[in-house]
Amino acid sequence: MSSYAIGLSTDMAIMSFLALAAYLLLLVGRISFGLQAFFGFGAYVAGIGSTMLNWPFPIAVVFAVVIGAIVSAAVAWPTMGLSGLRYAIASLAFAEMARIALSQWVWQVRIDERLIGPNGVDGFRDIRWVLTNDITDTQYLVICLGALACCVAVMWYFERRRIGTAMRAIGFDETLAQHMGLNTHHIRVMTATIAGAIAALGGALYAHRTTYIEPAVFEPMLGVHSVGYALIGGLGAPFAPLLGVILDLGLLNAFHDLAQWRMVIFGGLVAIFLRLKPRGLVDEKLFDSLRKGI
Amino acid sequence: MATWLINATQATIDGLIDGGIYAWIGLGLSLSFVTLRRLNLAYGATALFGIYGGLWLHQKWDLPLPVLVVVIVVITLVATAYVEVLCFSGRTNVSAQSGSRPAGEIQNAEIVAMAASFAIWMQLEQVAVNLLPRHLQAFPSIAATSEWAIGEIYIRYDRGLLAVVGLLCCWLTAKWLAHSRTGLRFRAATDHSLAARLSGLRVDRVQRHAFYLAGGLSAVAACSVLLLDGQVTPMFGMWMLFKGLVAAWLLGGHSLGSVMGGGLLLGLVESYAQWLMGAQAREFVLYALLFVLLVRQAPVTRKGLTA
Amino acid sequence: MLEIKDLQTAYGKIEALKGVSLNANQGQVTCLLGPNGAGKSTLMMSVAGILKPKRGHIKFCGEDITGKSPADIVSRGLALVPENRLVFPALDVRENLMAGAFRRRDHALIRADIDAMFDRFPRLRERHNQPAGTLSGGEQQMLAVARALMSRPKLLLMDEPSVGLAPKVVAEIFNIIRQLHAEGVSIFLVEQNANMAARVAQHFYLLEQGRQVFSGDAAAMAADDVIQRVYLGKRQAA
Repeated sequence: MSSYAIGLSTDMAIMSFLALAAYLLLLVGRISFGLQAFFGFGAYVAGIGSTMLNWPFPIAVVFAVVIGAIVSAAVAWPTMGLSGLRYAIASLAFAEMARIALSQWVWQVRIDERLIGPNGVDGFRDIRWVLTNDITDTQYLVICLGALACCVAVMWYFERRRIGTAMRAIGFDETLAQHMGLNTHHIRVMTATIAGAIAALGGALYAHRTTYIEPAVFEPMLGVHSVGYALIGGLGAPFAPLLGVILDLGLLNAFHDLAQWRMVIFGGLVAIFLRLKPRGLVDEKLFDSLRKGI
Repeated sequence: MATWLINATQATIDGLIDGGIYAWIGLGLSLSFVTLRRLNLAYGATALFGIYGGLWLHQKWDLPLPVLVVVIVVITLVATAYVEVLCFSGRTNVSAQSGSRPAGEIQNAEIVAMAASFAIWMQLEQVAVNLLPRHLQAFPSIAATSEWAIGEIYIRYDRGLLAVVGLLCCWLTAKWLAHSRTGLRFRAATDHSLAARLSGLRVDRVQRHAFYLAGGLSAVAACSVLLLDGQVTPMFGMWMLFKGLVAAWLLGGHSLGSVMGGGLLLGLVESYAQWLMGAQAREFVLYALLFVLLVRQAPVTRKGLTA
Repeated sequence: MLEIKDLQTAYGKIEALKGVSLNANQGQVTCLLGPNGAGKSTLMMSVAGILKPKRGHIKFCGEDITGKSPADIVSRGLALVPENRLVFPALDVRENLMAGAFRRRDHALIRADIDAMFDRFPRLRERHNQPAGTLSGGEQQMLAVARALMSRPKLLLMDEPSVGLAPKVVAEIFNIIRQLHAEGVSIFLVEQNANMAARVAQHFYLLEQGRQVFSGDAAAMAADDVIQRVYLGKRQAA
C-alpha cells in the first residue's frame, strides 16, 4: 500500500471513532453537536500522558478514554433530560466552552531543554511518541484499525443483547419505552458516556498521528461531520457509520477537483438521505435482510 | 472609584447596544421557532448566501444601495425556500385520528428537520465562499465617522440607533403576531395543525409564509448590521446563528417577545465579561450562560421523565 | 344536501369504510349511530377532506367534493365539530372563534358573529380571553360548536359531541342541537349515545364495521328489534 493510502486509511480509522460516537447517540434519538469536545479531551490527555508524564502509550490512551467517559457522563446527566433540540444546542454550547477553555490553557514542562505542553491558542506540539519509538505508518494504522475493530466488535456484541434493543426503543419512541419500564434517562446517560469514551479514543489516536493539536481543530464542524457520517452510513449496525466516513474522505481524496464542493456534496447527501432514508444507507431493515441472506 | 463607575457605565451602554442588535438578528430565528417549532440551523447561512450573492452582483454591476439590499433579501428568500423544501416541508404532518402524535414521533421529526438544516447550512456557506473567495469582503457602509462623547463615555450613536430600530422591529413583530389576522393564522397552524386544517387553513402554505417572513427579517437585519460594519466575512453566518440562537433561547424561547430580553441580557453579560475578565471570557460566558439556562429549563427526575 | 355513495376509505391497508352510502337532507338532523370502530369518525374525516377516500363519491349541494382539501370544503359551507373537540389550546376563546372564520372575507360581520356566539353561549363570554386549553370539557365542546358555526356553514357535521361529558352537560349540548335545528341549521350528527340522539334526529343510519346496515326514521328504529336491544337497551319482548 502506498504511504498515501496508509495515511488516508489512518485518517478514516480515526474519524470513524467520532462517527461511532455519533451513531450511538443517534440510536437513542439524540443528535450531539459536541462530540468534538471529547475528541479534543482525548487528544490533549493522551498527548500529555505520553509526552509530559512519560506514560506508556497504551496507558495514556486508556487514561484519555476514562477522562472522556467521566466528563461525558458529567455533562450528560443534566442535559439528557432536555428535548432533542435543546440537547443539541446544549452540547454545542458545552463544546464551545471546552474549546475556548483549551485555548486559554497553558501547561508546559521542560523536557530536554524544550518547553512541551498545551500552549493555549497555539496548541500542543511535539506529541512525538510515534516518532521516538520508531512506529511506522503501517504499524500505526494497524494500531488504529485494531482499536476500531475492538470498538465495533464490542458494540456488535451488546447490540444483540437487551441493552441494544432498549437503546433503539428509546430512540424510536421515548414515551413508549418509558411505559415499558425502561429508565430512559439512565440509558441515555450511559450511551453518552460510552460515546464520549469512544470519541476520546479517537482523539488520543489523532494526537499521536498528527503530533500537533490545537483547539481550533475541535470546532463544531468536526462534530457536525461525524453526525453526518452516521446519518449517511446508517444506523443499522456498528460498521455502518464507517461507510459514511469512507464515502466522504474517500470521495474527497479521489476527486481533488471536488474539494471546493465537498460540503455541498456532503450536505446535499445528508439532506437527501434524511428525506429518503432517514436511518441511513445500512438501516435496520437492510441489515436484517443482509443477515438473513447470509 | 470614578473610573470604575465610568467603565461600568460604558460597559452597560455597549452591552445594551450590542444586545439590541442581537435581538434584531435573532428575531427571524425566534419567529420560526416560536411559531413553527422549527430550529433552522441554516438561518445565518441563508442570509450569508443572500449577502454574498448580492455582493457578487454588486461587484459586477455596481448596484445602488437600495437595490443591493432588495437583491440580498430576494436571494435570501430563495435560499429560505430551498431550506423549506429540503428540510421542513411535509415534516409536520399529523395523524387524522387525534390531531397529535405520540411525543416520541414529534421529537424525531423535529430533530430530523434540524439535522437536515445543518446539512444545508454546510452547503450554502460553501457556495457563498466559492462565489467570493477572498476572506474579507467590503460592504457599502453608512457608518457614522464620529461618536458622541459624554464626559469620558463614548456612544456610537449609529449603532445605538440600529439597536433601537432592531428592538422596535422585534416589539412590532411580536405585537403583530399576537393581534393580526395573519399572526393568528401562523399561531393556529402550529398550535393544533389538525384543528387548523378543519378550520379551513392551508397549514402547509401558512407555515411556509411564516418561514419566508423569518427569512426576510433575517436578511433585513443582516443588511442593517453590515451597513454599519462596512465589511463581511464567511463567519458572519455562524455569528448570526449563534447570537440569534442565544438571544432567542436565553429567556426560554417560548414567546417572540423574549428575544428582546434575551438579546439585551446577552449583550450585557458579554460586555461585563469582557470588561471584567477580558475578550476571551466574553465568548466563554456566552456559551456558559446558554448552557446553564438550557439545563435549568428541564429538570430531570429520577425516572427520566421531563417536567 | 349531502350525498355519500359507495365510500371506501382506508388507513394504509386497513379498510375502515367498505362502501358506505347515505344522505343528509337539508333542514334535518341526520344521525349516524354505531359502535366503536365502526368507521363513523373515518366517514366524518373523509367528508371534511382530511382523509382521501379510495373509492366512491361525496356530493354536497350537487357538487362533487370527493378528495378536495379541507379549506375548499369549509369554503363550500361544511363545518366539522370534531371528535375530542380539538380546540386550539394556546389560543384564547375569542381567537378560537376567529379561527372558525378563517375562510370568510367579511370582517365586520365576523365581529358581529362573535358577539352572537357569546350571546348563545354566555359561559364562553365569561372566559373570552382564557386559553382554550384551560376550559372544562363541556365548555370546550361549546367552543368547538361555536367555532364551527363561525364559518356560517350550510351543513354542520358533529362527531360524537357528547363523549366524555357529564350527563347534565350532555343534555345542554343536545339542547343546543335542538335549538340549531329549530333555527334551520342542517346537522349531520355522529353519536354513540343513541338515546339522546333519538330525541333530536329525524333520520338514522347505523354503521357497523365499515358498512351501513340500517336506514330509517325514528319509527323504523322503534320497530327494529336489534337496534332496540343492542343500542337502546330495551329488554327482549317477553
